[in-house]
Amino acid sequence: MNKIELKNLLFLSRLRVNEEDQDKTIEKLQNTFEMIDQMNDLDLDKFEPLNNPLELTNVSRSDKEKNRNKKEEFLEKSPKSDEDYFVVPKIVE
Amino acid sequence: MNFQEIRNNFRDKKVSAKELTEESLKKAKDKSDLNAFISHFEEYALERASYIDTNFDQYIDKPLGGIPIAHKDIFCTDGRKTTCASKMLENFVPPYESTVTKNCNNAGSIMIGKTNMDEFAMGSSNETSFFGPVKNPWDDSLVPGGSSGGSAACVAADITTISTGTDTGGSIRQPAALCGITGLKPTYGLVSRWGMIAFCSSMDQAGPIARDAFACSALLNAMASYDDKDSTCSKRESVDYEKGLSKDFGKLKIGVLKGVENLGISEEVLKAYESSKKILEQLGHSFVELDFTELSSGICSYYVIAPAECSSNLSRFDGIKYGYRSEAKNLSELYLKTRAEGFGDEVQKRILIGSYVLSAGFYDAYYRKAQKVRRMIKSKFDEFFMDVDLVFLPTTLDQAFEMNRESSDPNRMYKEDLLTIPANLAGLPAMSLPNGFSKNLPIGVQFVGNYFSEELLLNTAHKMQEVTDWHKMTP
Repeated sequence: MNKIELKNLLFLSRLRVNEEDQDKTIEKLQNTFEMIDQMNDLDLDKFEPLNNPLELTNVSRSDKEKNRNKKEEFLEKSPKSDEDYFVVPKIVE
Repeated sequence: MNFQEIRNNFRDKKVSAKELTEESLKKAKDKSDLNAFISHFEEYALERASYIDTNFDQYIDKPLGGIPIAHKDIFCTDGRKTTCASKMLENFVPPYESTVTKNCNNAGSIMIGKTNMDEFAMGSSNETSFFGPVKNPWDDSLVPGGSSGGSAACVAADITTISTGTDTGGSIRQPAALCGITGLKPTYGLVSRWGMIAFCSSMDQAGPIARDAFACSALLNAMASYDDKDSTCSKRESVDYEKGLSKDFGKLKIGVLKGVENLGISEEVLKAYESSKKILEQLGHSFVELDFTELSSGICSYYVIAPAECSSNLSRFDGIKYGYRSEAKNLSELYLKTRAEGFGDEVQKRILIGSYVLSAGFYDAYYRKAQKVRRMIKSKFDEFFMDVDLVFLPTTLDQAFEMNRESSDPNRMYKEDLLTIPANLAGLPAMSLPNGFSKNLPIGVQFVGNYFSEELLLNTAHKMQEVTDWHKMTP
């Protein structure tokens, strides 16, 4: 992994690492990938990927109102609100 | 006094819930140097204890009636701070209650506080917490293990007799082993994940931590329930685990490790393992040797799948919706600064690994391959359980280690979970219990069972604890 790849990865992850710490971050990641890469020694052809240990079926519920909207409570717990709205930093530029 | 004696005394009105709570709160204060707690709820706990005493008749038969408990700070508690040991959630107050804590409340327990942990449950030493490391009650220069280090230290130090934990790659069993207590990771899906802050959703599972299997069974009775708010929660009929302790499951065939010398297990741990095999033999059980080599590659798979799911789960922390928010000039900078300042080093590292293995071009080489290893491990266990009732192996490679451990192996910390991870990948239940001491420090051993075999696991551990004393030792 080089610095350009790390910068791309940091962008994808929405994270930031100072320029002077980047070599150290690359080294740490490479060490972990050395361990992970031991997977390459295994013969995995006969195995299908497994993403969840249990055989699952989807769960649905009846189309009835269940939890009343706790608007006042949520607004009260937000850092900033104005009447019925949450006040957040500008997110559309 | 152990959990059972305390509960009997409460039921016999020899001690009140208020007295029990006062004692736990006092111990928590006296032992604050351990840093086992992130929050204390003194006023709330005393009020609740008084309520329980006043309404004694309603609580006499409840599995946790009148018993003080400490919850890992990963479970959302309505109106009470839930931090996940992160700066990101330092001031987060959830507007709802997790199913686990709700179930424990309904079972009559009294929450005295929320315990310290590794940040977002990522760690094996409790050193990644934003609120500082937890110390091991047996030796305060050593770690208690992680990520449920605060919950384990709390029980080992006898502050409470029971606590809750979560186990994604060993986070209940490893600290239980390092602190000399008992902990159970249930089958994936037995305990609801609703309100439990997500790290790796396909492996995260909450479970009981206590001094002995008896208390674990009572706590699991309270924790486990079907919950339609968690689509992965099991619909199986509920089992009375406490009752199950007195059942006779007969002579068991137990799978034991073959070729242990290649796994890097310490001499002390191996010695304790061999002597506890003798105890199982005396109890009439027989052994089948199993080759664990393939299972030990689970660690490679885990460090792809867990970071992948973590990078996805933690994308919700953006500085907008809730949690920490940094000051920034524009949206892009707000995301970057909030996440770089709000997450600790280990969490950031895992997000980076996750983004890498999920990114275009690497998906097949890493994520898909890791899922195939996961299938291989599940198949191996399926094969084992055609022949044996339980698998028996050490919980950890070694005993508790010093804080800021320096190692020539940069992945040494990740290897802490080498023996616990396979059960998480396969979604199987596993239980760690103390099985010896060396240098005045505890050692742990674990049973792994087939899906939903918690009753058998608890029963076997309980029978073992009836003829041994390690779980009774206190620092």
